[in-house]
Amino acid sequence: MKKTIALLAALSLSSTVALADYPSKDVQGIIQWGAGGSTDTVMRSIAPHVEDALGTDLILTNRTGGVGAIATKYVNAKKADGYTLLMGAENPQMYKVLGLAKIDYSDMIAINVLARGTPVLVANNDAPFNNMQEFLDYTKANPGKVKLGSTGKGGLASIVLAMLNSQVDLNYISIPYNGDGPALTALQGGAIDVMPVVLGASLESIKAGRMKVIGLIDKEANDLLPNVPPATDTLPGLARYLPWGPFFGVFVKKGTPEDAVIKLQSAFHSAATSPDFVSLMEKRGFTILNIAGEKADTFLNSYRSTSSWLVDEAGFSKYSPEKFGIPKPQ
Amino acid sequence: MSSQLSSQKVRKPGERIFCLLLIVVSIFLFWQAYQIAGFSSLSSSGAFPLAASATMVLASCVVFVNTLKLPAAEGIQFFRHCLPPVVSIIMAIILLYAVVIDSLGFILSSFVFLFVCIQLLYRRSPLFTLAISIVSLIVVYIIFRLVFQVVLPEGIVPEREIIAQITSWWSN
Amino acid sequence: MDALHFFATSWLSPELLGLTALGTFLGIYVGAIPGLSVTMAVSILISFTFSWDVNNALCLMVGVYMGGVYGGSRTAILLNIPGAPSAIATAMDGYPLAKKGLAGEAIGLSTVMSVIGGFVGIIVLALAAPTVSEFAITFQPRDYMMLGVLGIMLVGSLSGNSLAKGIFAGALGLLIGTVGLDPMSAEERFTFGVVELWDGINPVAVMIGMFGVSEALHQLHHMDKAVVKQKISRIIPKLSDVKKYLPLSLQTSFIGVIIGALPGTGGDIAALMAYDHAKRTTKNPKVPFGEGAKEGLIAPESANNAAVGGAYIPMLTLGIPGDAVTAVFIGALFIHGLNPGPMLLVEQPQMFWFTVGNLTLANIFVLIFGLTGIRLFSKIVECPKGILIPLIFLLSIVGAYAINNAVIDIWWMFAFGVFGYFMRLYGFPVGPVILGVILSSLTDENWRRAILTESGSLGNFFAHIFTSPLSSVLFLSILLIFFSKTSLWNKGLKPLLFRTKQKP
Repeated sequence: MKKTIALLAALSLSSTVALADYPSKDVQGIIQWGAGGSTDTVMRSIAPHVEDALGTDLILTNRTGGVGAIATKYVNAKKADGYTLLMGAENPQMYKVLGLAKIDYSDMIAINVLARGTPVLVANNDAPFNNMQEFLDYTKANPGKVKLGSTGKGGLASIVLAMLNSQVDLNYISIPYNGDGPALTALQGGAIDVMPVVLGASLESIKAGRMKVIGLIDKEANDLLPNVPPATDTLPGLARYLPWGPFFGVFVKKGTPEDAVIKLQSAFHSAATSPDFVSLMEKRGFTILNIAGEKADTFLNSYRSTSSWLVDEAGFSKYSPEKFGIPKPQ
Repeated sequence: MSSQLSSQKVRKPGERIFCLLLIVVSIFLFWQAYQIAGFSSLSSSGAFPLAASATMVLASCVVFVNTLKLPAAEGIQFFRHCLPPVVSIIMAIILLYAVVIDSLGFILSSFVFLFVCIQLLYRRSPLFTLAISIVSLIVVYIIFRLVFQVVLPEGIVPEREIIAQITSWWSN
Repeated sequence: MDALHFFATSWLSPELLGLTALGTFLGIYVGAIPGLSVTMAVSILISFTFSWDVNNALCLMVGVYMGGVYGGSRTAILLNIPGAPSAIATAMDGYPLAKKGLAGEAIGLSTVMSVIGGFVGIIVLALAAPTVSEFAITFQPRDYMMLGVLGIMLVGSLSGNSLAKGIFAGALGLLIGTVGLDPMSAEERFTFGVVELWDGINPVAVMIGMFGVSEALHQLHHMDKAVVKQKISRIIPKLSDVKKYLPLSLQTSFIGVIIGALPGTGGDIAALMAYDHAKRTTKNPKVPFGEGAKEGLIAPESANNAAVGGAYIPMLTLGIPGDAVTAVFIGALFIHGLNPGPMLLVEQPQMFWFTVGNLTLANIFVLIFGLTGIRLFSKIVECPKGILIPLIFLLSIVGAYAINNAVIDIWWMFAFGVFGYFMRLYGFPVGPVILGVILSSLTDENWRRAILTESGSLGNFFAHIFTSPLSSVLFLSILLIFFSKTSLWNKGLKPLLFRTKQKP
């Protein structure tokens, strides 16, 4: 009986305690993408370090759907108390121009932007070109012949292709797949010739010689691909968009108490410096950012500007970026 | 039981209406499929839905015609043999449960659901029903929420706070 | 010698042995509970085993995978709620057996056949992994499309009395499968502007509604009828039975391995294809299919467990997941600092035989845990209906919610439960609906990819079918099955072509 009373007393206190001393209960992490995807892998590998830093459980839940919009909406419908985190990838930054949702990361508080990926162009080993220039020449000489894989409008492949199309006029067949994995499998089987993909997804297959890199979409060479010159060597005009790449980040709803935000930011910051996590990300070809606050906002805004305007110029945006006051990239 | 029903050579009450409804729904879906991309190309996003819904329209028409040919079953009433009151009541209870689960939370709504259904279908003493409901709810909660970390709708019960209190209390 | 050493790693360490056993045991329950998927359980285990040694973590996860695939048959047989889509075909003949009081025998038989299937998968993985994986990636979009069409033709097997009703149900399923944002063009299909519909209608929600809820609603008609007493004297199947069905089990296991090894298809499609194979090749079943034919139970159970070994083939050799669960395994290997990919077996040669040994061990535990505890499980069906039916509803609702932590899945489950109730009432088969949902995106997307590849030309599409041996074989089997199933063949072509063989 005493115990019950104690429990009830504790319960009645808990609501006030929760505010004073974050975190007083489990924190829920909502992952935008499904189990086994790269966002899921990254978040599940950082979570244990965050749990240590926060001293509470971090329960991860996958809530897929609507290119991540379902999870984004869900977190924004919850209380702004710091107990529900959105763990996502770059997709929400395109929601507004693609007309998928009315919110993006600029309407939330960034806890940490963990890392950024580098896009590469990979090709089937039998493809008759070995570098960027040869690829461009071959595609021009054989219009409508080269089969390029993609992952749907607004996906990484569509934006990389929009970048290329802003520099040269290419005529190819675009074949959409449901993600990097299936597309790379199809590439090895010869169903497609070329696929723009994030380096991490293709690194192991490249090392094993099952596919070849024909372009590195970056301004600088990459340590993991010592013999591949950056794409700006062939197309200097690309430099205005780069460096650009998909990223992973953790966000909370606007209005979350300062105290909780600071605690979460420091927890994720220290978690992202743990050697396990760093080596995992580097091996997968991701560049660790580990940024929050103003730095994160700058990064997020630059990503949004570049991608939104590219998509707009390529002609598949639903609304003009101007409508949302998204500035043109310099 | 479904096997004895499906080997029918007679028409049950409501069957004609059901088949007619299927035709109507199929035509509506065909129209919706047409709206996606029209008859633009073989590789358009609307091609496959068009083919599927066209098949539905054809098949439902064949089924409807076949049904018309069957003689009506004798001595079967819709609300006694096809949709008896107990089925409608249970359907309504499930519907209600699905409506309130988000706002009331899993624990409260499921408890009421179990208690009402078992009492209605099993008709023993309320105490017995209460015990069964509580025990099964605890088992389901432990499996889903605690072991597999499915975060069930919390509603008005501050579950996470209670768990946090119990754990901190346990560790002290 | 090295191989044997690595193979035995998990057998000789009591810790690894215990973890595999624990994993298998948990897996059987995860598999049995609809809505709790093996994919989900394995991803939870990633966080849980984060700080563990990689071997320990893998033992536990492999156990869960093997046990989970098997476990789906439990609730399919006992309650007509398949624990996972790969157990749908099991419910078709398993549940009728339970209604006859033969649940114990059905579970026993399905256990033994699952284990046989599991072993076939493991043997193919151990002996032919590189060959099979190279074969698997040569599948072009048109080949996947034709596999989808082959699958859709199973509607004929699942239709029961009225083919027209079956075709309607199948087409409805295909249509349900297209709901949502089209993954290829991002166009909305049948979403009516609702964001929650963008990701489509989850097949598991449809499955729980159509099978579990609609059956439980029908059970309400017979509340006064006494429950069927289960005969539990015979659990371990007769040796003669096992011998008799062994050829079928082996054939369907091979179907399972290949379908499992293809990166675009998994155990659910394997099980359905196996069911169809059993129905086509069994000339005179003792009991008709759909009413408790043992062949209809054996085929899918062998195939879906064989698909486990199959799914590992592209994963271990190329780093390409064979199904959703192996995709999570790849994530787990990454987190533990390994590099799953084509180089995995070069960098970590012990991984291959360790995994084979582990799968073998887990498969043995499936046999042990599968055959014990059947008595207790069979008792579930003997529980008074007034208690059992509300519990089925509760489990269905929680299961539907657990798929994606979304209340909307409860709504779908309920809607399909009520619709399924009327479908059953008026003699429509519900199996083809689920079949359609599962095969929809496979067929739709690959059809379109194939046509895009040919720049929209149907002529080139057919021309290319005959330049590839694989495509030609698939195409011919579609024609063969189609004509052997329709009366055109039996009444028209067969007497014409084989006139000499008929008696004068």
